[in-house]
Order: sequence, then C-alpha cells, then structure tokens
Amino acid sequence: MTPSPIGRRTDRVDGPAKVTGSAPYAADYRPEGLVHAHLVQATVGRGEVRGMDVSRAEAAPGVIAVFTPFRPLPLNPPSPQHSGENYSALQDTAVRFRGQIIGLVVADTAERARDAAALVTADYAVTPPRTSLADAGPGVPQGLVQKLAPGTPSIDAALASSPVTVTTSVSQHAQHHIAMEPHATTAVWVDDQLTVYTGAQAPQQAAATIAARLGVEPGKVRLICRYTGGGFGQRSPVWNEALLCAAAARELGRPVKLVLSREQVFTAIGHRGAVRQTIRLGADADGRLRALSHDSDGELPAAGGWRMMPGRETSAVMYRTPNIRIDQRLVTLDTPPTWSMRAPAEAPGMFALETAMDELAARTGVDPVELRLRNYATEDPVEGRRFSSKHLDECYRVGAQRFGWDRRSARPRSRTDGDWLIGMGMASAVYIAWRQPASARARFLDDGHVAVGSGTSDPGTGASTVLAVVAADELELPVGSITAEVGDSALPPGGVGAYGSSVTTSTVPAVQAACRAAVEALVRSAVDNPRSPFAGLDPASVRYRRGRVEARGRSVDFPTLLRAMGLPHVEAVGTAAPDQSASRYRFHCFGAHFCEVRVHRLTGEPRVNRFTSVFDVGRVVNAKAARGQLVGSIIWGIGHALLEADPIEPDGRFAAASMADYLVPVHADTPEIDVHWLDRPDPHISESGVRGLGEIGMISAAAAIGNAVYNATGVRVHDLPITLDKLL
Amino acid sequence: MTQYEGITRRGLLGLAGSAAVAATAPSDGGSAAARTTTEEVAVRMTVNGTATSLTADPRTTLLDALRDRMRLTGTKKGCDRGQCGACTVHVDGRRVVSCLTLLASVDGATVTTIEGLADGDRLHPLQRAFIDHDGLQCGFCTPGQIMSAAAVIAEGGARTDSEIREQMSGNICRCSAYPGIAAAIRQARAEMR
Amino acid sequence: MREFRFDRPADVGDAVRRSGSDTAFLAGGTTLVDLMKLEVMSPRHVLDINRLPLRGIDATGGGLRIGALERMSDVAADPHVRRGYPVLSRALELSASGQLRNMASIGGNLLQRTRCGYFRDVSTPCNKRQPGSGCPAVEGENRTHAVLGTSDSCVATHPSDLAVALVALDAKVRLRGRDGTRTVDLRDFYPLPGDTPHLEHDLRPGELVTEVVVPPLDWATRSTYLKIRDRQSYEFALSSAAVAVRRVGDTIVEARVAVGGMGTRPWRLPAVEKALAGRRAGEDTYATAAAAAVEGARPLRHNAFKPELMKRTLIRALLELEQPR
Repeated sequence: MTPSPIGRRTDRVDGPAKVTGSAPYAADYRPEGLVHAHLVQATVGRGEVRGMDVSRAEAAPGVIAVFTPFRPLPLNPPSPQHSGENYSALQDTAVRFRGQIIGLVVADTAERARDAAALVTADYAVTPPRTSLADAGPGVPQGLVQKLAPGTPSIDAALASSPVTVTTSVSQHAQHHIAMEPHATTAVWVDDQLTVYTGAQAPQQAAATIAARLGVEPGKVRLICRYTGGGFGQRSPVWNEALLCAAAARELGRPVKLVLSREQVFTAIGHRGAVRQTIRLGADADGRLRALSHDSDGELPAAGGWRMMPGRETSAVMYRTPNIRIDQRLVTLDTPPTWSMRAPAEAPGMFALETAMDELAARTGVDPVELRLRNYATEDPVEGRRFSSKHLDECYRVGAQRFGWDRRSARPRSRTDGDWLIGMGMASAVYIAWRQPASARARFLDDGHVAVGSGTSDPGTGASTVLAVVAADELELPVGSITAEVGDSALPPGGVGAYGSSVTTSTVPAVQAACRAAVEALVRSAVDNPRSPFAGLDPASVRYRRGRVEARGRSVDFPTLLRAMGLPHVEAVGTAAPDQSASRYRFHCFGAHFCEVRVHRLTGEPRVNRFTSVFDVGRVVNAKAARGQLVGSIIWGIGHALLEADPIEPDGRFAAASMADYLVPVHADTPEIDVHWLDRPDPHISESGVRGLGEIGMISAAAAIGNAVYNATGVRVHDLPITLDKLL
Repeated sequence: MTQYEGITRRGLLGLAGSAAVAATAPSDGGSAAARTTTEEVAVRMTVNGTATSLTADPRTTLLDALRDRMRLTGTKKGCDRGQCGACTVHVDGRRVVSCLTLLASVDGATVTTIEGLADGDRLHPLQRAFIDHDGLQCGFCTPGQIMSAAAVIAEGGARTDSEIREQMSGNICRCSAYPGIAAAIRQARAEMR
Repeated sequence: MREFRFDRPADVGDAVRRSGSDTAFLAGGTTLVDLMKLEVMSPRHVLDINRLPLRGIDATGGGLRIGALERMSDVAADPHVRRGYPVLSRALELSASGQLRNMASIGGNLLQRTRCGYFRDVSTPCNKRQPGSGCPAVEGENRTHAVLGTSDSCVATHPSDLAVALVALDAKVRLRGRDGTRTVDLRDFYPLPGDTPHLEHDLRPGELVTEVVVPPLDWATRSTYLKIRDRQSYEFALSSAAVAVRRVGDTIVEARVAVGGMGTRPWRLPAVEKALAGRRAGEDTYATAAAAAVEGARPLRHNAFKPELMKRTLIRALLELEQPR
C-alpha cells in the first residue's frame, strides 16, 4: 500500500512549466491577427471630461482606433449587487477619480498603442475631490455588532467601570496588491464566441460577469487563466480594463491584447482602502477583559469598491469578554476603487486589536502570552457558538518554546546587540475557515493518467497540486499519474474563487466526491461495456484498487481496460457542500506569531531578525506549498508593518504609484522564518478536516512586529508603516 | 541563422516599411503599419545559442523583442521600469534587466534567456532546485529569479545567506517565496561549482 | 516613448559632433530608457556610445582614472578601488540592484535624474521637467525630498550614491566637447536649482563625460559609505554619508564628509570636516561635528526628520569607520 501523499511534501505539479518559462500567462498568448490596446486615464481627481483631442493619436503610425466617452464601446452597467466598480468605463463623461479610464487606443503594436495614447489630451471641468480619510469625520455605520452583559447600559459604561482601560487608535494608508503580473487581457472572438485570456482568481464567475457586461449569453464567454501571476484579491473581480479589451475586440473584429503598465495597475485596479481604527479595552487589574470596543472608518470610493469591515472577524471572535461593541463605518471618498487584498479586513483589524492587547499587557504587567490565555475564548463572544476546532493555546505554548519567549524582558529598551536595540513581540492570528459548495471532475484517461479539474484558479496558491494530491490519495495512484486542470471557465460549473482561503477547504471534498463517482462510473462501464473483460458482472463484485479494476481473480489496469472498451476516457463530476449541522460551529484558523526585531539606536531603521509562527490550520494537504503560503504571508506582514503605504494627495493622485515608490519586501528584508503547524484535523468542517491557509500567516504579523518594536525602543507607532522617522 | 522576419510576424508586429506587411496584415491596420517615420535598426544577436538577425523600430527593448519577435515569452514584463527584475536575462554572460535595454544597443551580443538555460530536456540545477525547495508560487517572477541566480553564482557570489539575500534583492517576488529561493540557490550553488 | 533615430558614432569626436539639442547619449540606458518610456525625456536622436573607448580603471601614478563607460559593478569590484577607496565600492554596491549595476555606466550614474515622483509623472507640473510649470513637491508628498540647497522652484534630491562618495574625494570629471576637453570639479558640476532647476549640470551642448578622475588620497583606505533607507536593499537613500578620516593615534587630522538624500546635489560638508579636524575620535566629537551639518537645512512638511537623521547618519558612519573591516 502506497502511503497517502496527504500532508507530505509534494512538488508543485506546475513547477516544471514555471521554472522553464513555458507556462503561458495572459500576455503570452498571440493569436493570429492580434492588435494591441493601451489605456488613457484621467489626470484630475473628479469632474467631467468636456472634450478630448484624439486627432494626433489617430494620425500616429499604426493606430487603428481610439475609443473615448465620445466614441464609446458598448458595455452594460454592473448589476446593483456587484460590489466592485459601480460604473462601466467610457459610458459617460464623469470623472470619479484620478486614474479612471477615459480612453482606449488600439494600434498594430504595443509600443505604438502606448505612444499614441500619450498623444491624447482631455479638457476637464474639475470639482475638488474628497480624498482624505484623516480629515473626514466618522463614516456611515454599517450595522452595529453589540453584546452587553445584563444590566450594563452601554459599552462606554462598561469601559468606565473597568479598573484598567486602554485606548489605541491606529491608521494605515492605501495598500496595493502588486501581483507580479500586471493585468493583461487577450480577447479573441470567433463568430459570437469570446475567449478571454486573463489572469483571474474566479474564472467561472469572471466569465459570467464579462458575458453580462458585454450583453452576451453566459455560455458564449470562455475565460482561460491556466497560469495567473498572483492574485491576492486583485484578480477576484473583473475590472473595466478587461471588459474594454473584449469590447474592442468585438468592435474591431479582431483579437485585441491589453497589457496595463505597472503604474496603471495602481489606479485601474482596486487597492486595499485606507482605514482608521480605535480599540478600547476595559479590563480587571489582572488583565481579564470586561469590555472591548472596536470602531473603524474605512475608505469607500464613490466609484465603488470593497467594504472595509475590520472588526467583524477579529474583535468579534477573538477574546472572551462580557461586553463588546463593533462599530464599522465607511467614508465616501473620490479615490480609485478599493478591493479586497490578502487578509483584507483581518490584517488591519488584528493589527489594531493585537496592538491594543500589547498595550494592555504593558499596562497590567501581565505577560502578553499569559494575557491572551486569560482571555481565551472557546466560543465566539457575540453569538456564543463554539469553535469547531481550536488549539490556539497549543500554538502559544509551542511557539513560545520554539522562539525562546522566556528570554524576553518585559521592560522596553533592555536588550541590545552592538548598536542595535533588540525587541521581542507576539500576537495572535485568527481567520475564518470558509467552506463553499464546490465541484470537481475526475477523468480516467486511456493514456494512464487521471485528469482532475475544478473551475477554480491557481494564482500561486498551490491549488492544482492540492487537486493532484487529493486525487492521488483517493485513487491510490502516484501524484505523477494525476493531471490537474484549473483556470478554465469551461470546466464543470461549481468552481470556487481563489479567495478567502476557501479553495482547499471547499474543493478537497469535491475532488474526493468526483474521484469516487469516477470510480463508480469506471466500474459501471466495465460491467456494461460488451468489450470489457468484466462485461455482465454484478458491479458489486467488481472493485477498483490502485488504478486497477478487479473481479473474479482478474485484474486490469484502467488504461488497458479503457482501450479494450474503446473509450478514450470515463469521467464523473462530484460536488460537495457543507453539512447543515456545521452551522452549530464557528470555523476558524488560528496562529501565534513571535518576532524579534532590531532597531538601530542612532538611525532608527527597524529590521526583522526572526519569526516563529505556529498555526492551527486543520489538516495540511501539501506540506511544501503550505509552508510557502504561510512564509510568504508572514513576509506580507513585514511589508504591512514596515513598508507598504500609498498616501493619496488632495487632488486624488496616489503618491507612490510605482514599484520604486510603493515598497514591498525584497530578499534582503526576509529574516529567518520558523513556521510550524499543529496536526489537528478539523473534525467538523469536512471528512478530510482540511482548512485553507492563504491569509492566516499575514494576520497579526504586523502587530507582532509593532509589539517587538515597542519592546525594543519603548516607542509605540500607531500609524503604519513603522518607518525610521517615527523611531528617531 | 534564424531570420525573424517572417511575413506574419512582421505584419503583426508592425515592422514597418515592407510591402509584405501591407499584404498580410488585416485591412484596417495594414496601411497604418506600412507608414513609417522611424528608421529601423538591424540587429544581429546570438540568442540561446542560435544566431539571429532582425530589424526593428529603435524603440523596441530587448524584452519586447524577445517576447514579441522571438516568441521567447518566458522572460516576463513585471514593471517595464527596472524596478522588479522579472525580465532578467544574460547579455554576454552578465545579468541585466531587458526592459531597460534597447534592442539596438545589444547588436552583436550573446543573449541567454530562461528558455536557453536547460540542457535540452534536462533541467538546469537551479530549475530543479527551485522545484525542490518550492522557490516559487505564481511563477511570474521565477524566470527572472533563476536567471539572476545563475549569474550571481557564475560571478562567484552567493557565498553566504546574507550575500544571497542582498545580491538577489533586485528580483522581487510578491508571493514572497524568498526563503525557498535562497534554499534553492544554496543547493544549486553546490552543484554548479 | 517618442520616435527617435538611433545611431552609433564611430569615435568620441564623431559623437560630440553629431550631438545636438535633441540628442541623448545612450550608455547603460537605465535612466534614459526609463525616462523615455515615461515621456519625461523625448530625444529625437539617440547616440549609442557604448562602443567608444571610454573604458578602463587606471590606478597608476596615484589616484584613479575611471572611464566614463565603465559599469558600476566593475568599478565596485576593482581591486584598486576596493583597497584604496572603500567609500566608492560601498557606494556602488549599495546602489540599485545587481542587474542595474551591471548595466549603468559611471558617467551615466553621475548624470542620472532625480527620483522625485512629480518629475517622473508627466501628468503633474514640474519646474525641472517643464520650466515655470510649478513644483507640487514643495507642498505635496515630500518625505524623501531635499532639505539642503532647495529653492521655491525645486526640492528634488540628487539620487546618486556614487556622486556623494566622489564629491567627498574631490573627484573631477573630464568632458569632451566640440571645443576640446576640459576638467571640472564634481562639486562644481551640479548647480543649485535656484529658479532654474532644469539646469542640472555644467555640461555644454554636445559635451560628453569621458572620464572620472579621483585625486590621490592615501588615507581614503579608511573611508566608508553608509546608506539609510526604509527597505533593506534596492532603494534610493533617505540619507547617506560618505566619510573618510585620517587619524594619528586617537586624533583626527583630516576628514572628508559628504551626505546624500539630503541635498539637491551631492552635499559636501566642509563645516563638519573642520569640526572634526584636530579632535579626538569618538562619538562625542562626531555628534558635535555633525551638528554643523544641518546649518541652513530647510525641512518640508513630511521630511522634518531629515536634519536629525543626517546628523545621526554621520555619527554612525564615523563610528563604523572605527570598526575593523
């Protein structure tokens, strides 16, 4: 019996294609007759396009067409339920934000399209844009979450009566996903059938959106994204740029490719909105919480965007407290659209909460780990539902031990290494484990492979390898015998989007169901097909084992059987959905971060020395890719804490809209990272006990760093990022 | 010698000034493509061991020529500004960013891209090591990372972990597979020396 | 990128002859190609000078003569440079990335344009790019901008690390023009912006940087370059210091000090040098001397920390010189 591949270290199935450069991404497709498009964007923050001069662009060499609000491409408006951009580009002359698309130039080469686009000029009527979250008052409440102990009139009363209170206000600017692949679309119409090559996290949902916006039947659009150069949220919706590319291809009757410049991605594609938060904690002298209040004001662009709700899945689930109030508000601004970005609300939310908890630890003199254990929740503090599987206490214990937390001095500025101040900090992480209904297809092929597909995407998460590992386990075959198929909307309906750490959680049960159904179909064929050696047998007497079909002492491998039957393949689609009884539980992943930083005593630059992070993520399918996700996510936390911010200027311009100005971590910023996970399958989420882990590593990593910086310097930086000027 | 002057390619790529363009490019773009105001440049290079000649608009970067003219799309455009390293290739054995390299300026040079690194079907030690240590996720920066690492090792760098981190800092990986990349470089370094 | 004609001049004389107001010399291309794509620079004629014989690193006879087309990485790795002028090799190694250092030439490095975000964004005004159009940085996002040598017209920092080190070493640039050659002190090569920030250097039309000359300075063996930035690597300086110190025993006899990330040009600090001379080496001396660095500094809204950071960068750089290397 081959040992199960689940939980072992499996190479990525798409590794060879990626390391040889043969993996095709959206901009790598080159259909016959292709022409190239380039965007023109508004250079004012709000107002009206009064007129545009496209004459020089139209006269430029190689230019085929220039589309503007005055020569639009037909697009339907987004549905009112759509939470992204709330308008279709070029359909009116309104300028909603600086960087809004106001034109599309198509030419025979990409260089000529780019250079002609620079010749387009626009005349605007300008209205002063609203751009400052800091200067805006409180936003519009989005539904209060509140639970008060009997007899307590208000959260303010609960806080006022607490022996110890802490008030922590934090803020962060806009952040950008910076997937390494700039958004690119190649659109090809053949008659009335559209094929779109574009990076997508949710290919089937995106194809449906494109069809609706272009006014064609859903079945007429196929989206292919076999390789997607990073998602992190920015490729979960469809943006106007891809729609315009498809519309231009229809209008011109030839394939069109649109590749955004890196700078254009900053504004044409949504960003994580700026947010301000205030946490108020009321506690006993020994640190036990009596009250927790979490207020937030998040950026919500007038042009539409993702709603920043940073308290809902953080403060509302994390600690035991008799009184809790979460007030999440949104402020309308004339900024480019916002969108979900890895650990979208939870990274900011937990930065706020875990910074406040560290301040409470400092105030009460209780060790930060002990403080969290004293407030440990086994059920969520608002609804009182139990967690399905929570071993965060073990994460704290194992993490503290691996890290050497006992060597930390509670007193700030008490450890040095030469001219560097050394500090240690910790924080806890939580992220919802989200299981959706999902489907998958398993197909026995007569070449000896089994193709396993699901209409999801693998933008680097390792999803295709998960499919292969689970199928190999289910079918008792080597992983190398499985071909994984993702990134194609033509796969059977029911693929889940690659967001919210939900693909593995949701798709593993579907792959198992598909494999079981395919085995059943294979057996059924074997007894039904007259050319089969098992023809006419009772299916109950035929069994599948390790790639072979067996009955009455006879054993035939499936490719031989398929060839004998004259069938190129036998397949089945499996679907799986969460059990009704699951609603009794709250499903979450947990983690504990421990971090050591150094801060130079003279010049103040903060650097991360090392991280130890221990996670409770249910069962892990592929230890290799899981480690990559967790480690990468922690490095995102370093960016969150120390580097990433794009301030928006009064005229609506992003101040750091390039990869030289918007800093993400580089190799040299990467410390030693010790990642460990508990092997604790979740008994209630699914048969396999698997929970997704794409976001959890990032959550609270920034708080652990901030807490360590405080321990090193005695300075608490509340406005991210923590840069040296704030530590001088 | 490979001649990248195929009629179809020329038409699609807007290599202006040839009757073949107008003849083959679809109607509405063809006449425009034939108009030229810029004097083209002729370039000879050895690309992945193959002698190559082509003529191009002087605006063409080495990156765009590799991707669009020679169909070597393994080299990626991540920023087009020298700010990310995804387009790293070797010119005369040195790593450079091909996005800021004008094609015309590398006339006579020897260029190696990710497609030219492996020995036939056998993966280069770095390619194998990137898989072994999971030094990749989305894969978009991976060709640039590997080309950069190959040059660093060849230059005698990457002797310590901190050298690897510093010398590889011109290659951004947003998935942040950095520890896996560093481990891959350590493994390959031992095999390559 | 606007269309241009590409040519490769046969020799230096030919290059200079063919150069005109709409011409750009192409060396490594790391500035020029970048800024052409952004349409910040739009020459009609590009002259590729890479094959001109402006190469070589010559240390014979004391000092250094570095051909303008030598690449940053080669100069950084040169044994004479490493041994005799660690401040130069450090400044080079801390610049940009390995790929860019392989491409960028020494001459081009000295002529690179500011990283000011408004300069690089043609949708905004910029006096440097479009004289008289205004300077959004004075009131805008100016955390990385200059505090020394600024004017109401321009507050952009000079981006080169190498230039800071060279200015500390009293380096000169040799220029070849239609009227022959001349040599200019690098310190005098960069004018202050004043109300003409578009005039960034003392190059006359058609003139080409052919060589960088570093005068002999035997005690430059005790020199270093310290660069402070938010990201650990691959970023321009928020603050930097080039320092060289000649000591007899514990006493500083002479010092060379320049800072980067602070000025509208590489900024030599004679007042700090004077304050160090004759004093006993040590942090107190450095702190006292560094205080002289910030005289005349004009902080902006978002970079009020820079004068203090400059002082501390200097102190740290001087302290690092005391460490065995």
